[in-house]
Amino acid sequence: MKRYILTRAFYSLITLWLLATIVFGMVRLTGDPVKMRGEVGADAAYLDQIRRNWGLDKPLHEQYISFIGNLLRGDFGHSFEKSLPVGTIYFERFPNSLKLGFSAFVISIVLGVPLGMLSAFKVNTWWDNFGKVIALLGLSIPGFFVGLVLIIIFGVELGWFPVLGKGPSAFVWGDPSTWVTFWFQDWHYLAMPAFALGWYFSGAMVRITRSGMLEVLGSDYIKLVRLKGVPERMVMAKHALKNSMIPILTLAGLNLLVMVNVAVVIEVIFNWPGVGQLLYDGLSNRDFPMVQGVVLMSGLMIVVLNFVIDALYGYVDPRIRLSR
Amino acid sequence: MAIVTARARSVASVSRAARRSYGLAREIPFIPCLVLAVLACVAIFAPVMAPYSQLDPVKPTQEQCQARYSMADCPYVDNVPPFWARQGSLDTPLGTDSLGRDVLSRLMYGARISLIVALVGTLAAGAIGTLLGILAGYLGKWWDQVIMRITDAWLTLPSLVFAILLSSVRGPGLWNVVFILALVFWSRYTRAVRGEVLSLRERDFVKLAEINGVRKLQIIFRHLLPNVMNTAMVLFSLQVGVAVIIEASLSFLGVGVPPPEPSWGLMMAQEREGLMVGNWWLAVFPGICITLLVLSANMLGDWLRVRLDPQLRNR
Amino acid sequence: MSKGLLSLIASLVLTFAPVCAQEAAAQQILPGPLVKLDIKDAQVMTARGKPKAALTIAQHFALDPGWLDPLEHITALTQQHYDYLIHDAMIKPMPQGVYTYSLAERAEITADFTRAAFRLRPGLRFHDGHLLTSADVKWTYENYKGVHAKTFRDKLQRIEIVDDRTIIFHFKAPFVEFLELYNGATTGIGWIVPKHYYEKVGRDGFKARPLGAGPYKFVSQEAGVQMVFEAWEQYWRRSPATKTIVVKGIRDHATRLAGLQTGELDLAYGMTGKLLPRVMTDRNLRWDPNFTGPWWLMFPGYNEPDSPFHKKPVRQAVSLAINRQFLVRQETQGIGIVVGNWLSPENSDALKGDGTELPVPEHNPEKAKQLLAQAGFPNGFDFDWYVPFVPYFDMGERVLTDLRAVGIRGKLQVLEGPAFRAMIIRGRKGYTGNRTIVQNIDPRPGVRGSIGVYAVCGASASFVCEREIETLWSKHQESVNPDERDRLIKAIQRTLIEEYYFVPIYWNPFVAVVGPKVLPEGKAVSRYWDTVHAPYPWPWEVWEVKE
Repeated sequence: MKRYILTRAFYSLITLWLLATIVFGMVRLTGDPVKMRGEVGADAAYLDQIRRNWGLDKPLHEQYISFIGNLLRGDFGHSFEKSLPVGTIYFERFPNSLKLGFSAFVISIVLGVPLGMLSAFKVNTWWDNFGKVIALLGLSIPGFFVGLVLIIIFGVELGWFPVLGKGPSAFVWGDPSTWVTFWFQDWHYLAMPAFALGWYFSGAMVRITRSGMLEVLGSDYIKLVRLKGVPERMVMAKHALKNSMIPILTLAGLNLLVMVNVAVVIEVIFNWPGVGQLLYDGLSNRDFPMVQGVVLMSGLMIVVLNFVIDALYGYVDPRIRLSR
Repeated sequence: MAIVTARARSVASVSRAARRSYGLAREIPFIPCLVLAVLACVAIFAPVMAPYSQLDPVKPTQEQCQARYSMADCPYVDNVPPFWARQGSLDTPLGTDSLGRDVLSRLMYGARISLIVALVGTLAAGAIGTLLGILAGYLGKWWDQVIMRITDAWLTLPSLVFAILLSSVRGPGLWNVVFILALVFWSRYTRAVRGEVLSLRERDFVKLAEINGVRKLQIIFRHLLPNVMNTAMVLFSLQVGVAVIIEASLSFLGVGVPPPEPSWGLMMAQEREGLMVGNWWLAVFPGICITLLVLSANMLGDWLRVRLDPQLRNR
Repeated sequence: MSKGLLSLIASLVLTFAPVCAQEAAAQQILPGPLVKLDIKDAQVMTARGKPKAALTIAQHFALDPGWLDPLEHITALTQQHYDYLIHDAMIKPMPQGVYTYSLAERAEITADFTRAAFRLRPGLRFHDGHLLTSADVKWTYENYKGVHAKTFRDKLQRIEIVDDRTIIFHFKAPFVEFLELYNGATTGIGWIVPKHYYEKVGRDGFKARPLGAGPYKFVSQEAGVQMVFEAWEQYWRRSPATKTIVVKGIRDHATRLAGLQTGELDLAYGMTGKLLPRVMTDRNLRWDPNFTGPWWLMFPGYNEPDSPFHKKPVRQAVSLAINRQFLVRQETQGIGIVVGNWLSPENSDALKGDGTELPVPEHNPEKAKQLLAQAGFPNGFDFDWYVPFVPYFDMGERVLTDLRAVGIRGKLQVLEGPAFRAMIIRGRKGYTGNRTIVQNIDPRPGVRGSIGVYAVCGASASFVCEREIETLWSKHQESVNPDERDRLIKAIQRTLIEEYYFVPIYWNPFVAVVGPKVLPEGKAVSRYWDTVHAPYPWPWEVWEVKE
């Protein structure tokens, strides 16, 4: 077991190092941020000064070494565009993304799981197709369109929800009073963006639920339960659902991280101040430290989650648990 | 005793229903296939079918110029609504966009772009991913470690990074989006294929081939590849829909297919502000096309998955 | 002494004392003949009640905390949006004029342009109560790292602090552009930064929590998302009328319009394009055309013999082909104004392109075709790329359609904003080949600045290299006679337009929209845009909002 954990940890580190190197190289291929920052008329001395401030005048291998060195100390550098340390800006925004991602996750379960169960129980009937289509529509209409329609109907015409941003509440790391209240305030700002994102992911949720339930429904275990005379509703709720939850939750957990980190389009449309926006701004303005920071942070979270899942599976699987 | 037989009969009927439903599942889903066939036809025959050019504005008549601008002559008339609206005309049945181009013709040519981008991009991703998955699973050891570590790292890279990178290096273009799709999505295939190859390589027919001294390359192409095709095809059909949406999102963010190409995603992205001004048809019609394409691809993919999954099939 | 004599002396003193005091204030700081400066007075206003209500502004891109630091001032006019909020400058553009006394109450420049002196207003403070003195002015000058920093540092000989309110800059050589560059519109060096605070908190600290002497105090920010400011009632000019100003960074056009319609936003910029008709028909919204600068076309590599744009008739044909009136109607609902000069008419030394000094460009496709035939292109020709200013791709398409109608065929090159800027900043080297047309706009004030960048051989964004212009320009740079300089600068403009090196299109309205909460009611709200050369409606202390 220990050996298994150690090898998994080692692999995770290698993955992270590879990610850092790849993203370091890729951003530097996207162009010269100094030239892109300089407006017409900026004198050469001003541009040189900027280049030196940003450390881009040093040779590539020196930049790489200081990049990795700083990473090990947890320093992602200063944003070119936003002039403040990347870490500060990222963690200021991360709770916002988490709030949006988690709400979208909940919505996707609320929408997707019942539809998936409906599809599974009435498999290949009209209800099956109905359930699938409703969920798949979320996957089939581009997010920016859904967002704009929601804004127009529920924001402008009906006035039910505000259209901009996340509202005045903020998660301030330095202010513990906000640590709990943040998650429960300003729900009406969250409604539309979370719905747009949640609908998108409910498609996958329907699929997993449906196939998971079909598998379980066809299994001997369920046949036995039915033979025993358990009413159909109990079969549905207690036994079938419980057994298909594991794959649902595993994939959902990964989806959540992906949601949090790359819900760029939704964040731009609704002006939600999350990390997706940071990535978009950073890329548009060739803000190397910001892009590196966002990609690496999201990579770190995914790698850590994978590691935890692998470790849990290792524990559950007796062959691994009982090995050396 | 009677209760047991009754229960047994109901259980049997459920199994029969399950078997029948899987039998039904063998039938091809009709509507999605029809939609896809129509779209493919439109894409192939667009130059013949489209009434106008997709890039040049429609030459207006003097009456139209007079009615809209009170001018005797004008280069084009923009934002003409569909033919059933008051100012619409049957010349341009689905209306014109803000540069005076015919929406119907652009939709037809757009089918080409959307289908080419989605199909070629996903195909390329699938080819790369499958190959790497086979190599990782079969060759094992060092190959496996390197490929899987790179795959893991790659999975966390957002597609936007690739979009901006390619746009900077090559300049914006249609084939950028194809490259992006290939570069981003191959990693989805590798993991699944590798898993399957891991179990395949223990099977008798592979062991026999190895004993008989068949070269590794031949084993890969003759024995492994055909057997992973099922998984690959299922993934492929599901990824096509994702590809279309990604293309639309990239166009919205300004790094997808560049104007003036009539990609559906770009048309939606550029003209979505029309929704607020009353020119709803400019964004809704391409949206309907995208929705139909993605829905059909997804439903076909779901059917394929049931059809090709040995576990579900043989019940 | 009798009481009568005492009272006579007292009344004499009381009569003449104010006059003496005024004279003291009007006392010349520098010796010798001075340049006649046209700097307007500040118009100190009496406040009307306490500041109230909140104004929410939408900036059309993400916010950069770096804009809160004048020491690292950027080139673009974006930073001035924030300068006018938290900081104050010695001289800055105001509705009264391009040069208006703000922190300074008197400025002098010797006739040989080697010395410049300023006297600060009495009793100036920063937001924390600390006095603003000439030591801060000196410190700001010496620590300035923003645009044109090198020029300022190279030309400076020494800074002399006469007293707490008086400061004299000594230059090594005549520095004719000093006042133009020191003006708050061009660089950040005139926006005074508190020495005591900056040294305490450092660069990062200052950008996170800035301190200044302007009408609004900094309250809080979420980097990139929004900034919150609160009125500072002790501002010397007046107590601001609005209590809170919130600036949000909102990229998406449609979202900004939605925000205006729901009342979450009170002011938004850049609402041109497809949404303008909606803005115009919405009864709750009011808009100001807010003219910034003219669009114009340039031809990289035209002076190479194999370029199709080498001959003047071809360039003229390009100008004749464009249907500007129709373009203005399509792009700006008819608000835009067709002009004959690439420099904004708000520049006092720019030739007027309305027909009085330079002709309004005409639309004549037949003549264009004739000119092309004469130049050796009877069937027109193909060029490589039309590079529009990002993101006005639709406008580029429309111009291309017009060009195609006379036989000049080309493709639209679509770039991202930063990529476009990176290309144009490299001048000729930014573009491969010589078969390209570039569409540009530059709202920054200053005729000399624009010519120095776009029209001088080898300058940063210049595609023009003509001996005639070089001669005129070097004569201009050497001259210290204002009349002669004016004459030369106008001759350069005339050459550039008449030879069609630059092809102006129309004067762009960067439409700004306000919501119903903004006072005064009705069309009078346009007075906020009275400041010339201002793409944004500063100064902020006069903005009034309903509760």
